[in-house]
Amino acid sequence: MRSLKTLAIASLLLLAAASVAMAGPAYDRVMKDKTLRAGIMTDSIPGAFYNEKKEWVGFDVDIAEEIAKRLGVKLERVAVNNKTRVAFVQEGRIDISVANMTHKRERDKSIDFSITYFFDGQKVLVKKGAVKDWKDLMGKKVATMQGTTSEINLKAKLKSLGEKNVDQSVISFQKESECFQALQMGRVAGWSTDSTILLGYAAQEPGKWEVIGDFISDEPYGIGLPQDDSALRDAVNFAIQDMWTDGAYMKIYDKWYGPNTPYAFPMSGKIEMWP
Amino acid sequence: MLKHWMEKPLAQYAALAFILGLAVWYWGFVFSFHYKFDWSVLFVENKTYGLNLGLELLKGLSLTVKISLLSAAIALTLGTALGLARLSHFRPLRWVATCYVEFFRNTPLLVQLFFWYFALPKLLPDAGREWLFSLHYEFWVAVCGLAAYTSSFMAEVIRAGLQSIHKGLLEAAYSSGLTYFQVLTRIILPLAFRAIIPPLGSEFLNNMKNSSLAMVVGVADLTWQSQQIESLTFRGFEATTAATVLYLSLSLIISGVLNTVNRRLRVERPARPGWMDLALDRVLLPVNLFLRGLTRPLRRMARRRRQSLTRSALGALWARFLGLARRALVLAGKAVFLGLLAGLAWKIFEGLSAFDWAVVRDNFTTMLIWRFPHGDEHEILWGLGGLSFSLLMAVIAISVSFVMGLVIGLARMAENRVLRIPATAYIELIRGNPLIIVIFWVYFFVPVLLDTFLNVFWSATIALTLFTAAYIAEIVRGGIQNIPRGQFEAAYSTGLTYAQTMRRIILPQALKQMIPAIVGQFIAIFKDTSLAYVIGVLELTFVAQGLNNRLMVHPFEIYSTVALLYFLGCYAMSLFAARLERRLSPERIRLRM
Repeated sequence: MRSLKTLAIASLLLLAAASVAMAGPAYDRVMKDKTLRAGIMTDSIPGAFYNEKKEWVGFDVDIAEEIAKRLGVKLERVAVNNKTRVAFVQEGRIDISVANMTHKRERDKSIDFSITYFFDGQKVLVKKGAVKDWKDLMGKKVATMQGTTSEINLKAKLKSLGEKNVDQSVISFQKESECFQALQMGRVAGWSTDSTILLGYAAQEPGKWEVIGDFISDEPYGIGLPQDDSALRDAVNFAIQDMWTDGAYMKIYDKWYGPNTPYAFPMSGKIEMWP
Repeated sequence: MLKHWMEKPLAQYAALAFILGLAVWYWGFVFSFHYKFDWSVLFVENKTYGLNLGLELLKGLSLTVKISLLSAAIALTLGTALGLARLSHFRPLRWVATCYVEFFRNTPLLVQLFFWYFALPKLLPDAGREWLFSLHYEFWVAVCGLAAYTSSFMAEVIRAGLQSIHKGLLEAAYSSGLTYFQVLTRIILPLAFRAIIPPLGSEFLNNMKNSSLAMVVGVADLTWQSQQIESLTFRGFEATTAATVLYLSLSLIISGVLNTVNRRLRVERPARPGWMDLALDRVLLPVNLFLRGLTRPLRRMARRRRQSLTRSALGALWARFLGLARRALVLAGKAVFLGLLAGLAWKIFEGLSAFDWAVVRDNFTTMLIWRFPHGDEHEILWGLGGLSFSLLMAVIAISVSFVMGLVIGLARMAENRVLRIPATAYIELIRGNPLIIVIFWVYFFVPVLLDTFLNVFWSATIALTLFTAAYIAEIVRGGIQNIPRGQFEAAYSTGLTYAQTMRRIILPQALKQMIPAIVGQFIAIFKDTSLAYVIGVLELTFVAQGLNNRLMVHPFEIYSTVALLYFLGCYAMSLFAARLERRLSPERIRLRM
């Protein structure tokens, strides 16, 4: 029995000795196979979600399609979530990740980012009229998503306002839909993440919810790219710049965030145009 | 010549070491990973977040232990009550217990947890909800949800243990003049416990592993924390390895305790108790004292009553009054129970009639087949998803894991260490970890080891298969060990080879015994397909979440339908298993408590 345990641990260490690989230069592969594999979310409204007809649509989907079109290749959509999007780029399972992803230095240690293609900030969604400002949320519970920058920012914000036990007051769920459900049933007083996501959910039950408070962080969205593949990074960056200058970008933007949509979000003019 | 050498332990160890060395050489030096290990994330404070992530992992471990212990205690109490209720004379009680057990056994824990957390509070009045939320709600949902789930399994184990006592034994006991209480404490319970403890122990183990699902309701347990390290630092490999090691050690501790208990329950006790036995004695001392203190007055009372066979007139009147009062009390208890039952049924009826069934109707095909046959050719099976996807995963996993389990189970029993040690290692490694961790390993790391990419569907199916095969291997081993040793000897002495003996004599008998257990495992796979949702497989739970996400206001309708769909599939299988069990063991009779 003892030798067995030793063996179990030894084989475990062996497994541990193996690790995450990266495929070769992604750009060459994309051009050879004529397919661009893009990681896209499935439950982020209006970023990327399944609509009533069970089609996979959204702002990020259209951006990814447009980039593939400009590279002259076909898009292959790969479902990712906030846990897998970085790992997939690292492993080479996807070439780009268009998935509500804030460009952060910590993430830049593992993967590269494109220039900013969308600019958002973090706010909090509450029941209409219940809470006015961040200060009113002291001593109450707030939901957020596990392992996101939102979680870190929220904890920092609550700490700065004087909340003692942040681990108790912040409840982290696996999915956006779970956060919203927790808010609906009254388990939490607020749900904090990027404001466009909050707008998307608030629009599901018009008039019941509102997004309040100042932005507690800037969230420049970038497209995740494999580390040190400058050919692909350039190609994606140029595609975004071209989309911006010839108006294709605003067309997609207005389709999802324009004034006539349920998710109206005025263009902030903070979109950067170069890396 | 080779065969002769391979029988020597030294040669076998050498062969194993050679294989291990080859694997280390290949993945350590030839295969290129392009990944720098950084184990320091597990013990050095992370500058960006100002957190020591290793410490957080240990916090998660302590939470996992706490949840496991609390839920196991509640589940044992509830399970015992339910197991006894299932053998009750009072039909409504028996019926309720049966419904409870069947329902909780046959729906996935994941769906149950979603229901407890997201749907239940909506039923409550505002005051009740306020009160619930003032507690540490996530933690208690995890504990109670887990306990409710585990208790249904424990109830079955306890019922089966009690029923396994032969009727003749009871008749003999009664005819030798023992009272009911004496029969219960001297005959039934000791015998039943000997039969119950091993399966009950594996339920404790499962309970600990199932606690990994607490993360879906926002509890920061061990799995949650390892996921957190992964998403904060992208050191998934290091984090998952750490979680695996911790889970494995927990499992080994639990099974060590169980083995000791098992050994002590055997009729002949070991001459020299090991240190584990002594430690267990120390730990169990208060429990033993408590039990003895509790049963002694009862026993003494029973003894005293039997000593005085003659009663005075007043005493007889008093005894009659006591008897009547007791009967009235029992009757009142039954009435209260029926009243409560009617109230519950009315509440459920009210809730169901308030449902918006149109939502279920409109989305029913989505839940069953997603968008098949209108999907595009890139998707697996042209857009199949939902229940049919879950079934497909289960069918593939069942058929492959059965063959794998058979082979590994036989290897586990082989004399040759080259087969036995790897098979044992595989079984212990897989069984020591929660399914969710196995899914993460296959999903993130197996493709890397083999240098290919896998579709999520295949990753989940492979993980399910690997996981189930380990369990089936153990069932196979148990089945074969149940066959009397003499059969092997008789077969060998008639000149059959090992392979012939196994194929013609042993396996046909053993498989027959194993069928109920194996069907039980198949039910478990079907339920466990719901876990594939964590990596985004479009199976029933994932589709339900997507629907709920889009429709927002109908979680009750959707989750109830999903629970019902899982239940129907599992219940059909368990009916089948029960029929097989009955057919295979006709001499079992119904013992009533």
